[in-house]
Amino acid sequence: MQHDNIAIEVTDLRKEFKVSLSGKGFLGKLQALFHRSNKVITAVNDIDFKIRRGEFVGYVGENGAGKSTTIKMLTGILVPTSGTAAVNGIVPYKDRKKNAAKIGVVFGQRTQLWWDLPVRESFDLLRVIFRVSRSDFDRQMEKLEKALGLRPLLEMPVRKLSLGQRMRCDIAAALIHNPPVLFLDEPTIGLDVLAKQSVRNFLSEINRTVGTTIILTTHDMNDIEQLCKRLIILEEGKIMFDGETELLKQKFIHEKVIEVEFYENDCVMQEISGVTVVREQGCKKWLTFDKDNFGIGDVIGTIASQYKIKDISVKEPSVESIIRNIYDNRIKLSTPSNKSFTK
Amino acid sequence: MKPELFFKFVSISFQKQVTYRFDCFVGIVNGFLYVFIFTSLWKALYSQFDTTVHNGFTLTAIVTYAVLVMAVRISFTMDDSIIYRKVMDGSIAMELVRPTSFFFMNLAENVGHSLFHTMARTFPIVIISLFLFDISIPFEPVRLLAFLFSFFAGYILISMLNFAAGLLAFWFVEIFPFMLFKYALFTFFSGGIVPIDFFPEFLKPVVNFLPFQYMLYFPTVILTGRVPLAEVHSIIISQLMWILIMGVICSLMWGAGKKKLVIQGG
Ligand SMILES: Nc1ncnc2c1ncn2[C@@H]1O[C@H](COP(=O)(O)OP(=O)(O)O)[C@@H](O)[C@H]1O
Ligand SMILES: [Mg+2]
Repeated sequence: MQHDNIAIEVTDLRKEFKVSLSGKGFLGKLQALFHRSNKVITAVNDIDFKIRRGEFVGYVGENGAGKSTTIKMLTGILVPTSGTAAVNGIVPYKDRKKNAAKIGVVFGQRTQLWWDLPVRESFDLLRVIFRVSRSDFDRQMEKLEKALGLRPLLEMPVRKLSLGQRMRCDIAAALIHNPPVLFLDEPTIGLDVLAKQSVRNFLSEINRTVGTTIILTTHDMNDIEQLCKRLIILEEGKIMFDGETELLKQKFIHEKVIEVEFYENDCVMQEISGVTVVREQGCKKWLTFDKDNFGIGDVIGTIASQYKIKDISVKEPSVESIIRNIYDNRIKLSTPSNKSFTK
Repeated sequence: MKPELFFKFVSISFQKQVTYRFDCFVGIVNGFLYVFIFTSLWKALYSQFDTTVHNGFTLTAIVTYAVLVMAVRISFTMDDSIIYRKVMDGSIAMELVRPTSFFFMNLAENVGHSLFHTMARTFPIVIISLFLFDISIPFEPVRLLAFLFSFFAGYILISMLNFAAGLLAFWFVEIFPFMLFKYALFTFFSGGIVPIDFFPEFLKPVVNFLPFQYMLYFPTVILTGRVPLAEVHSIIISQLMWILIMGVICSLMWGAGKKKLVIQGG
């Protein structure tokens, strides 16, 4: 069949939430009793995408963009308002249980595990739930224990785990049945740098060796740069970009970024026409400029003539800065200096 | 749901109850107080009249009923706000991403809860009552078997009632008023306070139209011997019919509720 290599297919998918606006104070509440004013929020706004088997896709966007809502629909928790979705050829909100058997899910802010049980017992319960044979289970556990460093955690009750420890256990829990598709909604939240790296290595490995299709939601752009060949950027429920991460980089590669570090007493920089500050950190600033009207030398010259510079370098934009600019686009669309990003 | 899994969930829920041992001790005292109040009331009431049989109950029969209906009711203890809490804190999301039936998982949790209350509260209360009160239970093995059957049917009915009531959390932010209303309806129409035989005539059609009497009253009167053995099977058939009806209601509500469910956060 033609669809055999499609893991996820989403067509015109939409989710609206009705939120009732209750007025302020006693009178407002009283009024709300009689006629409720409802507001409809479109969390996911008619999106389409296809994900092939074995892809590793970054699903990013600012808070409230609709990432979690999409994942909840694909995992069968929420029923879409309209449109369709299929995961492994199964419609998740119609065949919730059948779909659940073939996916793994991690929601960074929640846990799959049983609060009062030791980790090992939680895993064993999941083995029964997902109908994994003892031998498959033992084999998979051995792999997970080693890759995620679970051994010292197994006898601890889940409620005593730190956030990072719990997250590693949750990732293992999602993989006990070796699902062909894995959804990760902010799984690196609360992990320290070392733990993050070991989780990344592990995810990259199962994607490569087992061919697990992975959809990853994250705010950590290192996750994206290291793992996701493909990127879907969501904004206010709509897809802004869907393509290869490398392509995104190339598209914006000519957007050189100037990294300047000023001396303390020159920390406040006046606005320079055609130059945009994309990021600030103390006396360090990252600048982009309107390259149709200015050369890179002009910009550096202008800055150097007006301020005392401690350090300056020209960089290619990181995925983070590109995405940051895409996010900011809407707000800065009116300022001409930033026009190049709308291309 | 596989039996192995069902019993695992039962056992987890049971163990959770064990951690609330102090509540349980209070529960025994509380349950026994109820038994004491009701039996005292009946004794006081019966002493006011010359006739010794009212609505088919002798004093011994009504005291037996009062003790046993409370015993069954305590065995049926379950947490009817579980679903509400899971919706509020969003943990329901993590249960929906597992290939398990939400209904059976809920039933298993209820069973664990009830099993603990049966062992820790019902048994002590019944044993103490046997010594303190004039209680007569006919000892017929067939009747005991019929009681067990009817008891489990009644249990499934209550569990379904609580499931359906809990699902209201998919529609409403606050379901406490509904629960209070359910509690009042159940306590009264199940025969939990006064046996159905004592109800005024005009209420009887209402009672027969509702499932509540099949939850407590009938299992209890099968045990006390008030129902002739020959009639037991028709009661159990009615219970099974109500299970079917409640099952349809639950699955319709589940189907509609899924579309309404929203999960806050993450
Ligand atoms: N249960 C809900 N009720 C009302 N609005 C919601 C609900 N869940 C999410 N939303 C709204 O939908 C939008 C998308 O939310 P979400 O998918 O959680 O975003 P993200 O995961 O990208 O941060 C937000 O505006 C959020 O406020
Ligand atoms: Mg989110």
